[in-house]
Amino acid sequence: MPAGKKECIPTCDNCGDPAIFFDPGLQRHLCERHLCLGLEHRVTRALTRHNMVSDGDRIAVGLSGGKDSSVLLSVLSLVIPEHWDAEIIAVTVDEGIAGYREETIQSAVSLTQQLGIPHHIVSFQSLFGTTLDSLLIAHPLRACTACGILRKKALSDAAREIAATSIATGHNLDDAAQSVLMNYFRGDFERLLRDSSSREERGFIRRIKPLHEVNEKEITLYSMIKGITGLLPECPYATTAFRAEVRTLQAAIEYHYPGASRRIITGQESLNEQAKKTIRPGTVSYCASCGDPCSGPVCQACGLLAGLNKRD
Amino acid sequence: MRLQLPDGTIRDIGREVKTVAALLTGCNINPLEVIVTKNGRLIPEDATVSGNDEVRVFLVAHGG
Repeated sequence: MPAGKKECIPTCDNCGDPAIFFDPGLQRHLCERHLCLGLEHRVTRALTRHNMVSDGDRIAVGLSGGKDSSVLLSVLSLVIPEHWDAEIIAVTVDEGIAGYREETIQSAVSLTQQLGIPHHIVSFQSLFGTTLDSLLIAHPLRACTACGILRKKALSDAAREIAATSIATGHNLDDAAQSVLMNYFRGDFERLLRDSSSREERGFIRRIKPLHEVNEKEITLYSMIKGITGLLPECPYATTAFRAEVRTLQAAIEYHYPGASRRIITGQESLNEQAKKTIRPGTVSYCASCGDPCSGPVCQACGLLAGLNKRD
Repeated sequence: MRLQLPDGTIRDIGREVKTVAALLTGCNINPLEVIVTKNGRLIPEDATVSGNDEVRVFLVAHGG
């Protein structure tokens, strides 16, 4: 603020109402109404541009009950019926995390009831015979790695059970930029070039990420404005994750170099396009234990569970 | 002005006009990781606060 400081009340670039959000990357101010309309427009554009939905689809929406998935479900329930003849079913995976999951599952139940969307709940306990809490007490595992592998399997199993044609998840622009950075930091070339959105023809249920052009702050504001979720707890294991460190770094980069996250993703997409021309997709095999499509003799989830049983 | 941080801490920050961004970075908070209200209304990070404003900072919860 220069000397001779004056009060500043920014206004919306679209209508002149008081702004609630400034996008430094695009250099624009938005009011409540235009932030919401803009977010819904970008989700519709992502669905259309990337052919994420077709008439007749049955979309399983991964609903943890947190802000991202709750906003995703709310927006999809609004825009899908306007453009496509497709069905939406919410799927919640209860990992068994005491003091955290009870509240978010209740929030998920309330939201689906309010939106009138069918809701399918599965749990680690019923699928794998253990909760995440018990698993981590008994075994020295990285919480987010183990949870991620088992949750992905649980969501795929649930989607198959309800005959879904695709799985929509609430991954946002910040998540995507962080994933790219994490793969670089790990030197994980294979994961960097993996593209789950195009694998449906190879035995995998297609995964779509309709919020991938929207950042976390916009999603939080949308949720607050529309009253979708209240203040919910954060996963107690999240702070120990590598992602938490990368998130702080990515937010700092984005603040000092506005638009950097979008550029990281655009660069990654270009790299994927180039890679598709020269790298053949890996052979798909089927897990010897559960029959799921995978890239090795057993899928990651069965490999993890088998390893734990050996140690027991 | 009264500033309430995400952990519930309350600070008196004087009456001088300042931007939300300056206020937050002065507290080592990245403006992209929080939502701010002034007297109960959402405001962007380049808005100013002053006088007897009640400023509240909410952490953007990750995940979900």
